[in-house]
Amino acid sequence: MTTQSSVVTETKIEAILRQHAEQQYAEELAELVKVDTRQRPPNWKLSPWAVRTYLMGGKLDSGFVVSPKYVGNPRLMEIAIATLATDRALLLYGIPGTAKSWVSEHLAAAITGDSTLLIQGTAGTDENAIRYGWNYARLLVEGPSEAALVVSPMMQAMKDGKLARIEELTRIPSEVQDTLITILSEKTLPVPELNTEVQANKGFNIIATANNRDKGVNELSSALTRRFNTVILPLPASIDEEIQIVDRRVASLGRALELPAEKPALEEIRRVVTIFRELRSGLTIDGKTRLKSPSGTLSTAEAISVINSGLAMAGYYGDGELHAGDLASSLIGAIIKDPVQDRVVWLEYLQTVVKERSDWKDLYRACNEVL
Amino acid sequence: MSIHVFGIRHHGPGCARSLRAALEKLKPDILLVEGPPDAQEVLHFMAQPKMKPPVALLIYATEQPKKAVYYPFTQFSPEWQALKYASKVSIPARFMDLPQAIQLAHTDPEQDASGEQVTVDKTQTRSARIRNSVLVEVPEESKEETLLREDPLTMLAQAAGYADHEMWWERQIEQRKNVVNLFEGILEAMTALRQEVKPRNSEEAQREQLREAYMRQTIRTAQQEGFQRIAVICGAWHAPVLVEPGPARADSELLKGLPQLKVSTTWIPWTYSRLSSRSGYGAGMTAPGWYAHLWNSPKQMTIRWITRAAQLLREQGLDASSASVIEAVRLTETLAAMRDMSQPGLDEHNEAILTVLCHGDSTPMQLIREQLEIGEKLGEVPKETPIVPLQQDLESLQRRLRMKPSIEKTKLELDLRKETDRGRSQLLHRLQLLAIPWGNQARVTGKSGTFHEHWQLKWKVSFPVAIIEANIWGNTIAAAATNYACATAKKQTDLPELTALLQSVVLAELPEAIEYLLEELQQRAAVSSDVQHLMDALPPLARVARYGDVRQTKAERIVPIIAGLFERSIIGLPGACFSLDDDAAQGMLKSIEHVQESLQLLDWPEQRLQWQHTLKNLAESDTIHGLIRGRCCRLLLDQQALSEEEMQRFTRLALAPTAPILQAAAWVEGVLRGSGLLILHQDELWKVLDAWLSQLNPDNFIQLLPILRRAFANFQAPERRNMGEKVKHLHQPKPTQTGSGIQSHTIDAEHAARVLPVLAQLMGVSYGN
Repeated sequence: MTTQSSVVTETKIEAILRQHAEQQYAEELAELVKVDTRQRPPNWKLSPWAVRTYLMGGKLDSGFVVSPKYVGNPRLMEIAIATLATDRALLLYGIPGTAKSWVSEHLAAAITGDSTLLIQGTAGTDENAIRYGWNYARLLVEGPSEAALVVSPMMQAMKDGKLARIEELTRIPSEVQDTLITILSEKTLPVPELNTEVQANKGFNIIATANNRDKGVNELSSALTRRFNTVILPLPASIDEEIQIVDRRVASLGRALELPAEKPALEEIRRVVTIFRELRSGLTIDGKTRLKSPSGTLSTAEAISVINSGLAMAGYYGDGELHAGDLASSLIGAIIKDPVQDRVVWLEYLQTVVKERSDWKDLYRACNEVL
Repeated sequence: MSIHVFGIRHHGPGCARSLRAALEKLKPDILLVEGPPDAQEVLHFMAQPKMKPPVALLIYATEQPKKAVYYPFTQFSPEWQALKYASKVSIPARFMDLPQAIQLAHTDPEQDASGEQVTVDKTQTRSARIRNSVLVEVPEESKEETLLREDPLTMLAQAAGYADHEMWWERQIEQRKNVVNLFEGILEAMTALRQEVKPRNSEEAQREQLREAYMRQTIRTAQQEGFQRIAVICGAWHAPVLVEPGPARADSELLKGLPQLKVSTTWIPWTYSRLSSRSGYGAGMTAPGWYAHLWNSPKQMTIRWITRAAQLLREQGLDASSASVIEAVRLTETLAAMRDMSQPGLDEHNEAILTVLCHGDSTPMQLIREQLEIGEKLGEVPKETPIVPLQQDLESLQRRLRMKPSIEKTKLELDLRKETDRGRSQLLHRLQLLAIPWGNQARVTGKSGTFHEHWQLKWKVSFPVAIIEANIWGNTIAAAATNYACATAKKQTDLPELTALLQSVVLAELPEAIEYLLEELQQRAAVSSDVQHLMDALPPLARVARYGDVRQTKAERIVPIIAGLFERSIIGLPGACFSLDDDAAQGMLKSIEHVQESLQLLDWPEQRLQWQHTLKNLAESDTIHGLIRGRCCRLLLDQQALSEEEMQRFTRLALAPTAPILQAAAWVEGVLRGSGLLILHQDELWKVLDAWLSQLNPDNFIQLLPILRRAFANFQAPERRNMGEKVKHLHQPKPTQTGSGIQSHTIDAEHAARVLPVLAQLMGVSYGN
């Protein structure tokens, strides 16, 4: 019976849509362990230096090449790792689409080899999700007992000395957030019903992510903020960096969705990324003209989805090759989030920037048709 | 007899500390410092207690103060510490660099014309250059050479695997706890480096040869005078060639017959921010406050720095608890350990403060950058120091323009058509820009305001101090005012403030500042979300573009800016006109008229069409305030861009019984503003207006009366009479109507002729013969 079920899960791994980081990059992690001789904090699978290499990529002494997981400023990753090494909780903060969850997952995978101790923060997340719940059938039959206790990922992480991840921390109601304060300062989780407690083993820590763009979320109390080191993940610093990210993700997503269109020309990606960057920073690439910025975030993730939907348009309704016309509608959809303000911004941009660029005529025409 | 060479980096606190210790151990009997011998005579001011660094030695060509060099010193400059040591133990100290009298005679005139000051301090533009060189992945051979010469330390740093030489220097020298044999080490490294460099033939290389020759000559002189322990303090790069001066022949050959210039020397107060590389031509030091901190508290450096940051944050009302400070210190140290550093540097501190104390928010970091890293500080110099070139320039201008400073209030009337008067006006305006309000401009009433200016002059005793302070901006009034205006513009965020500044800069006739401000204006206009600001900024610009201005502002620079402003106004205007109350509508009306006025001045057909199109859209949209709609109709009518039928349609719509009466009345006010003549011929307008008024019930009528009264108030009496006539005969058959208006009066030719001679005299034309 048991053997059979394990066979079933194994075959499933090939077919599942997305693997955990530690599954997908198991080989890299194993290679890193082999060459890593530097000092490790208690219960860490890798030393801080090796974790940095895992995230930023690089060539090992053994000749093995580690792929970069995070494209950007390595100093930020160093701060994040140093934070976890000093036994402080880490809060990854930033606008949507800046690889916060991605980094959190890979940090957990590299440090503890387990990125699955995850609590998804929503408005409906209650204390049970963070502390522990009860198996009510058992509770009724046996009364409070260890066996009736449903262990939360947080409690599991404390027991095993691993990293617990909390996604979208600010969406969790404030009173539930406050549960974390004791866990973070006392490193213990009392279970009064059983008159016992779970004390965290060495290595336990929390990585939380939150985005700072949404309104109406539950701001962290200052008591809780104080217990986190906050690292803000920025948007990609240079245009080439961003193009690299978009190109890589578009290719892998396109494969997954089996789109009939050809891989887009790098030029087309460059154009979209340029538009996004210019509007976002309020300045043209040449630094000569100032622009207004729209209300949306225009993150790299959105640039990826614009290209992808352009590809779908080209594949299903066009000639299979990505043209300006295929991009126009999704481009406008991504930029104009507020029908009044953003429209003005976009029109200004079209008239003052796009119109002036001689090799952008097709895009100008396409966008004018859609508006 | 021995020569001891200390190769240093300018402004390194660690270096300064090591140097001081080394000097105290060596006990030299003379000190030779890399610096301008021209300044020898003012060197003694240093010992005065009133001299407080940061200060700078200023050397300028007496005849052309634009040619000038600054040698900034801070408390932690190795040179400063060395000189202080010399004055403490009373040994002679001499500057040994090639005199500026010779160097300035060499400076190429082009550079002077641009108003740029030359700073010989090598570190000056280094940071910028280094950053560039880091960006280029494979530096070309020649570039590497230049780099090597200008910043040998970078080579060492790169050899040691650091991308940034500052960081290398920090770790290897500034943070070194054990300073034994430090200078021997530097000397050795530099000797090795200099052997790598091939000799070049550029002008710069020649000058370097001259400088080093002069340094050797100075050392030889000291030797001949019989000094026993000669301490030589120079930039690390020069160290190797000064160890053994050797025979003097070649050097004296080299230095023979060089042209010289008369120079003057003085001390001026300097600021930390001018030291930081951010302010254009500082001494290439990115964080003077940080270095001062390293100098002042070498122990517990991290704890003190982060505590200071926390205190600063608390003063601003931000949370920064002691627990957080502890965490920040821990993170700083862990980061340093992760990066294999013996001691955390500025970056580690910043990152820890950002992450722990500021919760990732980089806004407060700006504060820390300004208050701690730069830590603005203004130096002081004793009163007895010689006068500054700005003062000299001002005095020569005063002589030339025959304006004597007097503490009595005096009046001055200027006719700008005369050259001297224009010069005076220019000077007063420029001084005003520099916050030295010698003259207050009075409003000219009556005659010819465009070329007359009235001033009230009063010299205040505080002005000399203000002049010394202003000298930081430049050595001539023109240069200082230009730099100051540009710096102010950089800080200014409001569009109207900027245009006001532009106006005073135009008055002060500072072409470079005008250029810069126009540039800045264009940048700001793009991000300004206030359409009214954009529109209000148009008329002065249009005037300059149209009339080419007495003060020779270039029109072609302004035209694209106007076009940009106009484009943006057009796009933003419809949105900005929604949901305005009465006052806001009046304000918007003014802005709309500003655009109209500017367009009339400019006479650009394409833009005019665009503008008319926008006005028509505004007039059509019935959610917009009546006043604006009415005004739009009227403006279109004035430009003959609205046919009679369209006007009738608009009138009927606006004054329809269903329209809210207040809005309708506002519409009437908008239409009737301005000259009444044109309106007189709009029969339909009057008919509809008449009908609308007649159907108002008494209460509404009384309510509307003030608005209607206001609408008609500005017309001339004859116009009003004609309007009355018009309405009276509205419903009478046509023929009488055509006779209405001014033409209806029969003209008495004889009476009219009597006026003509006087009229001719008034207009300056001949009449009769």
